[in-house]
Amino acid sequence: MGATFVIVLREGFEAALLLGILYAYLTKIGRPESRRYVTAGGVLALAASIAMGVAVSVISGPLADLGPDVIAIGVVFLAVVLLTWHGWWMGRHAREIRGEVQRRIDEAHARQRLWLVGLIAFTGVFREGAETVLFLWGLLVQAEGVSSWLALVGGVAGLLGAVVLGWLVFQGGRRLGVQRFFTATSVLLLLLAAGLFSTGVGKLQGVGLLPSGDPVWDTSWVLDDHGALGGVLTGLAGYRARPTALEIGAYSLYIVLVGTLFFPALVRRKTYGRSDVTAPVAHRQI
Amino acid sequence: MLRIEGAAVPKIVVSLLLALVAFTAPRASGQDAPTGIPITIENNRFVPSEVKVQAGKPFVLVVTNKDAKSEEFESKELRIEKVIPAGKTASIRVRALKPGTYPFFGEFNSKTAQGRIVAE
Repeated sequence: MGATFVIVLREGFEAALLLGILYAYLTKIGRPESRRYVTAGGVLALAASIAMGVAVSVISGPLADLGPDVIAIGVVFLAVVLLTWHGWWMGRHAREIRGEVQRRIDEAHARQRLWLVGLIAFTGVFREGAETVLFLWGLLVQAEGVSSWLALVGGVAGLLGAVVLGWLVFQGGRRLGVQRFFTATSVLLLLLAAGLFSTGVGKLQGVGLLPSGDPVWDTSWVLDDHGALGGVLTGLAGYRARPTALEIGAYSLYIVLVGTLFFPALVRRKTYGRSDVTAPVAHRQI
Repeated sequence: MLRIEGAAVPKIVVSLLLALVAFTAPRASGQDAPTGIPITIENNRFVPSEVKVQAGKPFVLVVTNKDAKSEEFESKELRIEKVIPAGKTASIRVRALKPGTYPFFGEFNSKTAQGRIVAE
C-alpha cells in the first residue's frame, strides 16, 4: 500500500505542482476566467493519457516500441519550450504586474495567448500520465486479495495526495504577495525547466541520438534519485545522482541563458553596476 | 510581435518532433539489426536477472511481461524508461556500453524486480 502510494505520488507530483502554480498565476494576473484553459489542458491530457495507455496495450510492433519514446522526448522538449516562453513572458511583464494596485494586466497583454498556459498544463499532466494510468489499471485488474486491494487504495491515495499538494500550492500561491509569488514561481519554473531540459538530453543519450558518457559524479550514496526525497528533487529541480557531462552542461547552460530571460531586471542591474564601476577607474588610469 | 512569438512555439515543436522521428526511424528498421536478448517479467521479477552483453556494441532487449499488470522497465544509468503493459513484449534499444555493470529495475515493483546488464 505504501509503495503504490509513493509511486503514484511521485508520478503526479510534478503535474500537481505545475497546475497549482498555473491556477495561482492566472488568478494573480487578474485573469481567473482563463483558468479554464488550464483545466481544459489537464482534462485533455488525462484523456490523452488514457488513450495512450490503451494504445500501447493494444498495438504491437515497431510503432509501439518507438512511439512512446518519441512522444516522451517530444513532450519533454515541448514542455521546456513552453516553460521558457512563459518565464520570458513573466519576466518581461513582471514590472507591470508588480504593483498590487495595477495588477490586472491590460487587455492587449491579456489577449496574449493565455491558452498556451493551458498547453503547459497539458504537457505537465501528459508527461507521466499514460504511465500512471497503466500502473493504476494494473492494480485494478489484479485487485483480488486483501493486499492487492490495499495496493489499489494506496495508488488512489497517492493520486489524491498529488491533488491536495497542487491545491496547497494554489492556495499558498494566492496568499503570497504578487512580487513574492512571481519571484518564487520564476525560480521554481526555471529549475523545473532546466531539469526537464537535462532529462530530455539524457533521454536523447539513452536512445543514442546524442553521444553518451560516463557519469561525472555519483551522489547516490548521499541521495538516491530513486528514493522518495531524491525522486521529488528529480521532479522539482532535475536532480540526478549520476549525471553525464552533457546533462550537466545542458542544465547549467539552461540556467544561465534562460535565467537572464526569466530575470531580466537582475541582469540589467548587474551590467549597470559594472559599467558604473569601470568607467571612473578607466579615467583615473588615463 | 508577441503573437508571432506565441505562434512560433508550435512550429518549433513540430520541427523538433519531425527531426526526432526522422533520426530515430532508420534505426528501428535496423540496417545492422542487432540481435535481441530476451528477458521475461514473471511474478514481479526479471528472468534472467542478469544479462551479459558485448561491450562497445549496441543491442536490443526484448522484454516480455507475462504478469497480469503493467511494469516499467527502468534504468537510471541507461536513461531508459519503458512501460510494458500486461502480456506485451517491448523491444528496447540500448546504446553501445563500456565494460561495466548497469542495473535496471521494474519501477512498479522495485522491491523484487531487479536486474543488471553486464557489458564485457
